[in-house]
Amino acid sequence: MKKLIGIVGTNAANSTNRQLLQFMQKHFQKDATIELMEIQNLPMFNKPTTDKLPEIITEMAAKIEAADGVIISTAEYDHSAPAALLNALDWLSYNIYPFVDKPVMVTGASYGALGSSRAQAQLRQVLDAPELHAMIMPSSEFLLGNSLNAFTEDGQLKDATTIEKLEGIFADFLLFVDIAKQLKNAHAANKKAAADFDWDKIK
Amino acid sequence: MKLLGIVGSAAEESYNRQLLQYIEKEFATKFDLELIEVKDLPLFDESNDQTESVAIQNLNRKVLRADGVIIATAEHNHTITPGLKSLIEWLSFKIHPLANKPVLIVGCSFYDQGTSRAQLHLRQILESPGVNAIAMPGNEFLLGNVKEAFDEFGNLKDDKTRTFLQATLQKFMKFISVVSKLDETKDQLPDEDLQARGSVATTIPDVDMSSDHWVEEAAAKVHPVKGDTYVQLDHGILTVDQIDELLKSMPFEITFVDGNNQFLYFNHTEDSKNMFAHRKPEQVGNPIGNCHPARTHEHVKQVISMLRAGKLDSFHMPVPHGPGKYVVHNYQALHDTDGNYSGINEYILDFQPIIDWYLKKTGKQLVGGKVDAVSGASKKDTVEKPDAVSSASKKDDTEKPDATSGASEKVSRQQPDAISGASEKD
Repeated sequence: MKKLIGIVGTNAANSTNRQLLQFMQKHFQKDATIELMEIQNLPMFNKPTTDKLPEIITEMAAKIEAADGVIISTAEYDHSAPAALLNALDWLSYNIYPFVDKPVMVTGASYGALGSSRAQAQLRQVLDAPELHAMIMPSSEFLLGNSLNAFTEDGQLKDATTIEKLEGIFADFLLFVDIAKQLKNAHAANKKAAADFDWDKIK
Repeated sequence: MKLLGIVGSAAEESYNRQLLQYIEKEFATKFDLELIEVKDLPLFDESNDQTESVAIQNLNRKVLRADGVIIATAEHNHTITPGLKSLIEWLSFKIHPLANKPVLIVGCSFYDQGTSRAQLHLRQILESPGVNAIAMPGNEFLLGNVKEAFDEFGNLKDDKTRTFLQATLQKFMKFISVVSKLDETKDQLPDEDLQARGSVATTIPDVDMSSDHWVEEAAAKVHPVKGDTYVQLDHGILTVDQIDELLKSMPFEITFVDGNNQFLYFNHTEDSKNMFAHRKPEQVGNPIGNCHPARTHEHVKQVISMLRAGKLDSFHMPVPHGPGKYVVHNYQALHDTDGNYSGINEYILDFQPIIDWYLKKTGKQLVGGKVDAVSGASKKDTVEKPDAVSSASKKDDTEKPDATSGASEKVSRQQPDAISGASEKD
């Protein structure tokens, strides 16, 4: 069974993105184990000059490294991913490269009708940056709009069509994880490119 | 013109900070640029609302007061930094000070791209409904290969880059005035009550402000400490007598007006008739409307309202006092520890002895028929050019000593060429 990490893409105490991942965790438990990862309480990224990263970051990186794939469920603030998520991703690409060629599925929930569409579009560009270089599943947008009304009290998604769409995308993602394993010809070069992406040596 | 510069990186060493510092210095005669650091703010968390914290409220006030904002963004992972995003989230959650605010985006990075992607993201972010800033279109200022860009004095090395930046900032100043026309009511400041009919937390109630014995009557109410009683200050401990001695030793007449427009204090060193401003002990306690002739009230109101709103930090007015003197009335806004306006320090100073002393000590002379000695000398000193006073008239147009009076007109006449030239080239 595949081991996945589900990153809650906000530091808010109450989040429908957390709810969405919890739903997926339960709904897909026969197909994969999804461990939820929180990004709360991380220090603000400040490009420290020391090599030593906060322990919480190296622990997160190790889990991502060990996982078959990652689901990131992003909130949307001001048409873009929350500062807290950008912060986590900056830490997780600073002298460590757990995301390089890691299969990533992007989801998102928002209170409004648009379901974090613009945050997801920006997040995909972010994940494409040389030090992250994730293998983002293409053509798989899952937007959960009006998310405050999307769940029942026991955390089930209410709408059957939405569940069906999510099931389809998730099945594709599991397949994508397998395919991604075969797309490793450039992996060594990508890792090296990420590691060589030295802020101080860039020409 | 007052601008706010946001250093969009939390890093200790930031070239974006350096770029803004350069702009602050290079354009000091055109606008005041105050720098804000994202690293001084907590990371945004909607479940731990800190909108009311001193740091966010200070920032809010500064953004509201500024005529425009320059954001210098770094680029991390193809987007803006978490620190900058966090600042914008705080300013779009419960408060919206950036709404309709003219914003100029600049950025520098270590490599060729020069934050191109981060700037595009930032534009989208600024356009979102919660932010609703008005980012200046076009005029993309990307400073790539930034490690090579500055010389040892923090100046941009490349002439073309300097010219382009100058043209961009000229346009931004015009953009600000155009944008302000979209909302004509914005600049109408609330009326000032020169009769001090309101009150502030420190107002002493139930004493007739216009009484000739206000000080004694107010003292009977609040029993102020005096004489050899110790007072703790930021930073030190003095007795009331020592504070008095200190204030009386100041080489200027100093007056305190509180946030309620009540005249509370002056350093009483001379007889009224020997002072530049003829203050009398019996005037203390009066609303300032009583201390100024009625014909000046509109002007006084205008100055106070701008100081209160933060449109001005200080206001300086030369007042003729005969030959051999250059007397300036200076009005400096006061703020409490939370940054709230708390009144005015008016100090009246004869600059002539200072100028004479400076010229004598340095052997320099004032040259040129119309050199404005006061503004020229003080401005030049801040840019650390010791020979500035004498040679300033030969300097290029960014450093004209007469900037406060004539330069802005002159520059705007020259500028059309500079702008079109630069934009065509780039």
